[in-house]
This record gives sequence, C-alpha cells and structure tokens, in this order.
Amino acid sequence: MDTKKRSTLLTIGAILAGYTALRTVPSLLPERLELVPLDTPIGFRKYVAGETSGGFDPFVGLGNVDSAEATARKAAALKRVSEDICGALYGGLETTASKIPMASFSDYYCPFCRVQTKRLADMSQEMDDEVVVAWHELPLLGDSSNLAAKAALAAKRQGAYVAFHERLMKSPFQATPEYLRRLSDDLGVDGTQLVADMESAEIAQELENSAALARVFAFVGTPALVIGRTVVQGQISDKMIGQIVELEREEGWGVVCVSV
Amino acid sequence: MSVAASTDTYENTAISARLISVENGVATNSGTLSLGLDIKLAEGWKAYWRSPGEVGLPPEISWDGSTNLATAQILWPAPERFTAFGIENFGYNKRVVLPIQAVLETAGQAVELQAGVTLLTCSTVCVPHDFNLALTIPAGAGIDAASAALISEFAERVPLGPDAADIEVETAVIADGALYVTARSANAFVNPDVFPEMGPTFTFGKPDIRTNSAGTELWAKLPLLASEEQLPLLQVTVTDGSRAVTAMPEWSNTVPDAPFELVANLPDLAQILAIAAFAFLGGLILNVMPCVLPVLSIKLTSVLNHGDKPSHEVRNGFLMSALGVLVFMWVLSAGILVLQSVGITVGWGLQFQNPVFLTIMFLVLTVFAANLFGIFEISLPSGLQSRLARSSVRDGYIGDFATGAFAAVLATPCSAPFLGTAVAFALSGRPIDVIIVFTALGLGLSLPYLLFAWKPGMVRLLPKPGRWMLVVKWVLAGLLAGTAIWLLWVLMGVSGVRVAVSVLVLAVLFVLFATIQLPGRYTRTAALAAVAVLSLALPGTLTPPPTIKEIGQDWVTFDRSEIPRLISQGQTVFVDVTADWCLTCKANKTLVLDRVPVVDRLRDEKVVAMQADWTRPNPDISRYLEAHNRFGIPFNIVYGPNAPDGIILSEVLTSDAVLNALDAAALATDK
Repeated sequence: MDTKKRSTLLTIGAILAGYTALRTVPSLLPERLELVPLDTPIGFRKYVAGETSGGFDPFVGLGNVDSAEATARKAAALKRVSEDICGALYGGLETTASKIPMASFSDYYCPFCRVQTKRLADMSQEMDDEVVVAWHELPLLGDSSNLAAKAALAAKRQGAYVAFHERLMKSPFQATPEYLRRLSDDLGVDGTQLVADMESAEIAQELENSAALARVFAFVGTPALVIGRTVVQGQISDKMIGQIVELEREEGWGVVCVSV
Repeated sequence: MSVAASTDTYENTAISARLISVENGVATNSGTLSLGLDIKLAEGWKAYWRSPGEVGLPPEISWDGSTNLATAQILWPAPERFTAFGIENFGYNKRVVLPIQAVLETAGQAVELQAGVTLLTCSTVCVPHDFNLALTIPAGAGIDAASAALISEFAERVPLGPDAADIEVETAVIADGALYVTARSANAFVNPDVFPEMGPTFTFGKPDIRTNSAGTELWAKLPLLASEEQLPLLQVTVTDGSRAVTAMPEWSNTVPDAPFELVANLPDLAQILAIAAFAFLGGLILNVMPCVLPVLSIKLTSVLNHGDKPSHEVRNGFLMSALGVLVFMWVLSAGILVLQSVGITVGWGLQFQNPVFLTIMFLVLTVFAANLFGIFEISLPSGLQSRLARSSVRDGYIGDFATGAFAAVLATPCSAPFLGTAVAFALSGRPIDVIIVFTALGLGLSLPYLLFAWKPGMVRLLPKPGRWMLVVKWVLAGLLAGTAIWLLWVLMGVSGVRVAVSVLVLAVLFVLFATIQLPGRYTRTAALAAVAVLSLALPGTLTPPPTIKEIGQDWVTFDRSEIPRLISQGQTVFVDVTADWCLTCKANKTLVLDRVPVVDRLRDEKVVAMQADWTRPNPDISRYLEAHNRFGIPFNIVYGPNAPDGIILSEVLTSDAVLNALDAAALATDK
C-alpha cells in the first residue's frame, strides 16, 4: 500500500518534471564555442553560431545618397578607425589585462538590440572588475534613427546611455524639442546640454567612427558585439559571452591592439 | 529591366523579393493594374506590418522614376503577432505578398514601374534592405495566372471594412493604463487577435483577449506602454484565422466587463446561487466518501469521550472544526486567485478554447474518474496521514480547528477528484465566483459539524458506513466521466478530430499504465510521465489553423440572358464583373458596394445585384465585356427600364455615382 502511495506522488512529480524539461531543455543544450579568424582586421576572429548571418552585403545604411563631401568624410573616418581599431572600438574605456572590453553596436529600431543593451549593462554592473562596455550607435534607417542615435550618444556624455535606452523601450522616440526636454527631465540630465551635444561635431564624428567600424568588421546589421578581439553578430547567450570573456582573458586580447 | 509579369528577384540570406503584376499588358481603356510585392522570408526572419508594434519599421516603396503611374496604394494583409524577447511586433514571416493597387495616368498605355523598396527584416539581427525593382508593362492584353492566384491569395487576407465584415468592432475605451476593445461576430471567434493603431506615440503590450463561451463576443485589454494626453484617431484590426476587419470604433466611456468563460453571459445572481447550491451539495456528498466519514467519526468519538465537557464548549468545538474546513477551502481559493493572476501576467490562455488547457483538464478528469471507479488509487503518503491524525487529537479549540482543517486535508484522496475539477474550472472563472464556489463547498463539507453544534443530538442521524457509499462513489465517477467526455468534445471543436483522438488514446494508455503491474521499480512512473507529457505537447503542435468561413451574399450569379427579362418586369439590374485578383474591384466592393447606402439600395426588391466572377477565364464574361468595348475589369454597369442598354460606371466607383445610375435607370415612379 505504502509503495503505491509513494508512487502516486512520484508520478505527479515526474509528469511535472517531464513537462518542465520539455519546455526548457532545448535552451539548456550545450553550445559550441566556434571561432573563425577574420582576414581583416588582422588578429580579430568571428563567433560562428548555429545561425549563419553571412551572405549579406556589408551593411551601409539606408536612404543615404552620398554627396561628394559625405563620401570624403566616410573615407576619412575609415582611415581614422583603421589606424587605431582598438581606440575606435574601446576608446576611453579603462581596461586592464583582466578587464575585458566589449563594444556594443545597436540601433533604436531593432527589437533585439534593446535586449542586448540591457543584458550588457547588467553584466557590466555585476562583473564590473571583469568587463567594461563601450556603447556605439549604428543608426540603420534614415532620419529618426539618426536623431535617436544622436540623443543616445548625448545622453551617454552625461552618463545616462542605458537609462535612455530603457526609456526608449517604454516610449517611442520623437524628434521634437518638447520630447527632448521631457526626456531630459525624466533621465535627470541637462536638457540644454543634451540638445547642444546632439548637434556637436564630436557626436557626428562618433557616429562616423561607429559606421566605419561596421564597415571594417563587415557587420550586416544590428546588434553587433565585439568582445576583446572576438566579433559577434546577432544573438548570443550570456553563458557564451562569459566563455568568450574568459577566453579573451586567458589569451590576452591586447595582442590585436597594435597599430596596423 | 524585365518585360514580363514579374521582375527579376532581389535575393540575399534573409529575403528574396520581386514585383509581380496580374496584367501582362495594359488592356485598351484599362486604367488600373493589380501589382504585388512578393517577399519570401528565410527561416526566422520577419518583415513588418504598416504598424510594426513596439519597434521596427514598415516596408516603404518609392515610385520615383516610374512613367504613366498616377498612384500606387499598398493593401496590407492582416499581420501576425510575434512576441520575442518580451517585445510585441506585428508583421509577416515565411512569405507575404503586399498587393498594390496602381492607377495609371493614361488608360490603355504602357507603364514603366520603378519600385525603390526599403525594408527592415529582423531575426535576432536586424538587417535593412534597400533595392530597386523595375517592371515594364506594355499596352496589350493577357493575364498571368500564377501572379493572379498569388495576389488573390494575399488580397483575401486584407482586412475588410466594417460594413463588409462579419466581425463588428463595437467599442473602445482607455482606462487605467489600458485600451479595452470589444467586438462581436455571429460566426464564433476561434483564434482572435487584436491590433490597435494609434500612431507612433502609442504602443501596446501583450493583449489579454477573452471570448464568451459561445465565442460570439470578444473582449480585449491591451496594456498601454506609451501614450499621449491627446487621443488620436483609433483604428483597430481584429483578426481571426483567415478573416479580419479593420474599423474605427467610437470612443466609449464605460469600461467593458470581461466575459466569464463558463457561461454565455455574466452570471446573474440566480446563476451564482445555482452554482453555489451545486458546490454546497458537492461538499455535503463528500462527507459520505469512504475516507471522510472516518474522520468525522474520530471527531465524534473524541467528543463523546469527553462527555463531561459543558455543552457550550462542545458547540464551540464543532464550530471551530467547521471554521477549519472553511479555512482550508479559502486557502485553496487564495491559491487559485494567485495562480490566476500569475496566469494573466504570464499569459496562460486559461480558457476553454485553449487546447493545452483542455487537454490538462481532460487528463485530470479521466484519471480522477478512473480512480473513483476503483481502477487505481490516489492517496496521501501514510507518514503525512499519521502525522495529521496525531496532531488532531490536541485539546482545546486549536485542536478542534485543526480537526476541521485536517478533515478537509485527509479527505483529499476521495475528494481530490471534485476539488481538482472545481479548481480547474475555477481557474477560468472570475475571482468572485471562485470565492463563492469554494465557500459553498466548505459549508457543505462542514455541515455535519454545524448541525452538531446546533443540535448535538443529531449525531444519531449520522448514516452508518456501508455498501451504499460505493454506489455514491460510482455515481460521482460517472458524472466525472461525463464531464471528461464533454471536454473531449470541446477539444475536438478547437483542435480537430486528430488531436482529440490522440489525446483520448493517450488518456486510456495512462489509466492502463496506472493499473497494471509493470516490471521494474520506476517503469510505471516513467511510463505515466511520458504519456502525460506527450499528450500535453500534442495539442499545441497538431492544432490546425482555423478554417475560412463562408459569408452569405446578396448577389445573384451573372446570367446575361436574364437581364432583358428583368428589365421588362420593371427591375433595375446592377452588374459587377469582378475577380479575386482584381484589387480595384476589391476596393470598390469594400469602399462602395458593401457599404451603406449602396448596400441597402442593392438589397431593395426593385434592384437585382448580379455578380460575374472572372477569377478563372470565362468566355461568356469575356464576350460580354468585349460587347461593351472593355477588356479589363472592374466593370460595373446598371440596366433599367430607363436605360435598357445600360449605364457604364467608371472603374473606380463612388457611392453617388452608383446611386445616381440606379436612379437614372429606374422607372420614374420608383425614384
């Protein structure tokens, strides 16, 4: 009798466990850390996930009919970042041999970018002596994408980059002065400064540098991520990021950061 | 530059796209073209609807550089909802053809199309595409059947206008940070979804969509993620399988109540009382179950052993026991309310249209019914039982209270079938119903204690345990089995025969495995678990999408020889030559013919509305068109006693033009 009773509970438990497993196991299967060296830039390599993101023309952005001046600016930016890729990727970060830098490239219109931004922000807080993040904007689609990118970078100057992105998760970006004022109040940043920064030459150059980096690394879209010297395009699990960070620490990511 | 009904294909890893045209040539006098942007999306990639949801961008087409093109309008097929990373998006996957209704500057002349397409596609990466598709359509004739079929298929998915659809969007109201929408349809909703559009500054979270049990009333609550003070115009698209409507409901002031899923309408007082009465009766019956009666006896014995207690203490003791039972029931209902609120936030569709929920319910009921029939037994571990029994012999009111609570707990092996069923049904009810039902159950179960508290002499009336208890048990088992059969029937309606039969077979297997002795210690457990998990995984994967529903029409089939006869009888005849692939015809139908006032006028007994369907080649219709020197459609003409040769209407209809032609063709007395 007693065994029967036990087996009833056991069965109910097994059913619950089985169903839970059915729902969760696929995400628990081990992933392989597969890295393929890149031809250019030398020393960098690409994380190859199950899903290929190859086969695209490298991303150039939409609706950009380039004037001669713009073409020249692009060429200048490309030259600038090629001379110092690490500087362009991780400029201004305080890195050490054990503190791995990450460069996150995102666009306001891309759903998964929001997720990546949030995750990297959390990660850099939890492991603040192990990783540090440089935020890049890669506006994909025309004017409002560009404006949102400028606002994000201006917010970054006042230490509110992640807050800005979190705010954009709740409400769409509008390119109006009233909206920017309200946004500044919500983020607790100086609105006048924000608007001035948005139009500044530095931010224009920052955007040009990020776009040039995207060309250097042949990104096809957003989000993109560079961890040390490993390039990641698209989705990657936290666990895998952790593994790559570990690997970069062991191998010493700094080897690529010599002038090419 | 391609000269065919289709352009070359733009192709990369995420998409392949081309521009197609139904017409291989621009027919004489023809001023419109039916085009389509055909987009195939690779596995995992999505493109966006005209309103992308929380983020994303809709496709755009610039026609700069085209010649002889006046306007080109994209018709948006009803979108699907994608929820990824907690973000709600509306769009398309696998394949979509965006039908494009083009109007020419000069009818009958060649057209050069230059479509500059910008398109955002996302999987876990967002990749923008910017490409140009060029198509030249010369003057001439001919229909590309493959393109026609493809464009028709997707034109069918473009939501209808409010007057043409069988779904009526009724009200919309914004209250406490959410948008509420209600809709009704004579054809029951199977798998409805709601897509509100209020401009770029309003975004919405995951909707809570419920229908009443008949499926004819829909209630939706969409949390507002972002909003403005100023309310813009609201446009709501409601989809249900292959049918969809886009409407602009009036803002209302009252927040609609969510339907209660178990009964057709919100239960009124009489219904609640009836439910409570049943629950009370159920609780009372539980008292004579084989494992409840002994507990009652223990309690009575302990009272009789303390015969020297003052009577008010005995009374209070019984009252405390009754309270114990009730508290157990309240704990249970609190658990249900917590589960419900979790379910709503997690987005379980705990409704009787959800195949997984139905399957769980069916399995639970089948197992319980088998258990009551004595096929196998469900029981509490003996350790727990003896511990409970030990602690219930404590003295004082605490002990009495514990006795009541433990009576309820100890009764679970016999009462589980009913409590389990009640819990499952309550999960899809309103909080107030849950509380009422479980309180009534508790009152029924504790009635003996209450009676003894009132008149201790009643103890004599207690029935003696015996074989009759088995009969009660069997009757109840029959009831459960009946409920299980009903659920299976509902499941068959939701998921089809295949799923229902599979689930039934698995349930029988489950009972079988539970009954027979299997070799090995854990084989039985493993077998049972495997069967249960398999049956839970089935309905989600096997449920076919809801099928299309036929909608009745007020049209008669075109018969050319009938026209003169009808005119001679003083009737007015309106002829509409149409085809599934003709976008202008669809627009005419949606914007004019299916709308008040024209639709009422066409239903008039003096008017006969005739439809000629040219979707597939039909020489009769072709000759009829040629007779009027027309080679393309839409073609609309009105005959009447005053216009025996007919009044030809322009390709793009207006209500006034149709009504005026009908008036002009009719007899003077009918005007």
